[in-house]
Amino acid sequence: MDYYLLTMCVYVVVGIVACWGLNLQFGETGVLNFAYILFVAVGAYTASLFSLGPHTSASYQQYFWGTNLPWPLPWLAAGAAGGILGLLVGLLVLRRLRGDYQAMVLLVVSIMGTYLVSADPGLLNGGIGLSDVPAPFKNQLHTSQVGYELFYLGLSVVTALVIFEALRRINGSPLGRVLRAVRENEQAAEAVGLNVPAIKLLVMIIGGAVAAMAGAIEVQFIGAWAPAGWTYPETFGLFAAVLVGGRGNLGGVALGAFLVQGLFLEGTVLLPNFGSPDVIGAVQWMSLAALILLFMWFRPQGVIPERRRKFGDNEAGALHGLLPAQGLARVARGPRA
Amino acid sequence: MNSVLSSLGFGIVTASTLLPAAVGFTLQFSATGILNIAFGAQMTFAAFIAYMCTQAGLSIWVAMVLAGLFGAVTSALLNRFLLTPFTRRGTTFFGMVVVTIALALLVEYAVELTWGPLPVSYPMMTSGVVHVGAMSFTRSQLVVLAIGVVFAVATHALLHYTRAGKAIRAVADNRNLARSSGISAQRITDLAWLVSGLMGGAAGVMLGLSLSSVSYTMGDTFLIEIIAAAVLGGVGQVYGAMLGALVIGVLLEESAIVLGGAYAPISAFAVLILVLLIRPTGILAGAAKAKGVA
Repeated sequence: MDYYLLTMCVYVVVGIVACWGLNLQFGETGVLNFAYILFVAVGAYTASLFSLGPHTSASYQQYFWGTNLPWPLPWLAAGAAGGILGLLVGLLVLRRLRGDYQAMVLLVVSIMGTYLVSADPGLLNGGIGLSDVPAPFKNQLHTSQVGYELFYLGLSVVTALVIFEALRRINGSPLGRVLRAVRENEQAAEAVGLNVPAIKLLVMIIGGAVAAMAGAIEVQFIGAWAPAGWTYPETFGLFAAVLVGGRGNLGGVALGAFLVQGLFLEGTVLLPNFGSPDVIGAVQWMSLAALILLFMWFRPQGVIPERRRKFGDNEAGALHGLLPAQGLARVARGPRA
Repeated sequence: MNSVLSSLGFGIVTASTLLPAAVGFTLQFSATGILNIAFGAQMTFAAFIAYMCTQAGLSIWVAMVLAGLFGAVTSALLNRFLLTPFTRRGTTFFGMVVVTIALALLVEYAVELTWGPLPVSYPMMTSGVVHVGAMSFTRSQLVVLAIGVVFAVATHALLHYTRAGKAIRAVADNRNLARSSGISAQRITDLAWLVSGLMGGAAGVMLGLSLSSVSYTMGDTFLIEIIAAAVLGGVGQVYGAMLGALVIGVLLEESAIVLGGAYAPISAFAVLILVLLIRPTGILAGAAKAKGVA
């Protein structure tokens, strides 16, 4: 049971980090990145390649390139890869296409990615996916399985906190105001001289890097990564989490990730068995869908809505940091309790 | 060369399935401005209704008509009682995308719960092969092709030669102007969703026939090809969707021959993205605007 709870905690942390990156794009800037899961996948594959070691003819799985670097490096490489992909995809779709076309082309890009990796077994072991991705420090630490999981949870929470602080600062900075200006009214933002495509490109890069970090944390924990794990509906699961929690609010988004990714998609395994796995899966997705519909109807602003930002007084500035932090604390306490 | 020609035949069959679906999808978008992600799931639902009818002993063609009607009615009801209330509450364009995603999940997994996760297939009629030059078709493929052509002609006739069709174009072009010239926008929107639901339902059965199996994820997978066809032609452009369906359908099958099956969707989507980079609003956007076609 401890084992399962700890596993779920790591999944929730991964979900929270992924949702924060999506929140920067969708919640703060209004970019509808339907290829988001592709960035998570690129991070996971990059972290795998940077920890699996060079490919030898003896190994049972194929990948085009690999090396073995110590812990923080695979994660950082994943972040860099996510950023680069964000740059490439952003350059492709953001410049010329209208908003609704952008969204649909991104969806198509996401599916192309899945097809491409599945089609070519030499690239990343095709549809079977990579497995036996080494976990950081597992051989150096001689602990029990539960002890190691606790250690890994700590590692991912610390990383998540660093990302949280970075995103919080972006949101509170002049750049954050620029992002919200683009979200609220693109034409107006352009009229006051903001370079809207460049700003969107920037959030594609930063958000992509955050997504890739989430993927890296996940892959080194579960040790395997295959195309079936990052099909395009996964992106919608993340969008649902951001909407339920409250877009534009880091604490709210974290709560949403906990509710949707943790309780709904992982936590239902804890329920007593009431049918075959197919039935449970179907009920899970249907209740998630019903939850989204209810939220869109009754509380479109989410559980913890975005705070109204004020000019001038310093107290508002102090409050600014406090509220999302409270939200996070609540989430962090949730799964441990 | 022969294989290229024969796969052209398959391409045309795929295009005939894609055509009503893409036209229905784009009609919904032009009538209500909603990007209906649940379209694929609705297709699957209708395909399973047809399966149920064939199990009850009806012929597949009767079943297809019933599935089309079922698709039409559910589509209109969904728009009237779920989507319209959401838009009335001021849900944004992207919010509506999320609502239809949730709807797609609900429908898809309801279908899985009802009919199970394993694919089923329609009872096929006696399969004779018909040769047309280097292309060869099975009989059901020929019927699918014919239905596709009928849908194309019927859509054209509806939009150009009937009052209701002209009203649909008027509402799509400018809702307020249409209302002030005495068109009941709500009724016309219902009609547009009825028609598009009919096309989606029929396309679901046609897809089941040409894949020779029906599974609960079928529409979900096909949705991407529908979106590609609709986007290629220019979203909201009915004739663009027809052209897009033809291009995407043929591309899918041709690249399967030239590059191998696994790469077919990749090349089709790559062409879509390339075209959009050159013409960001789809192939027909400019031409259709000039002619005032919905």
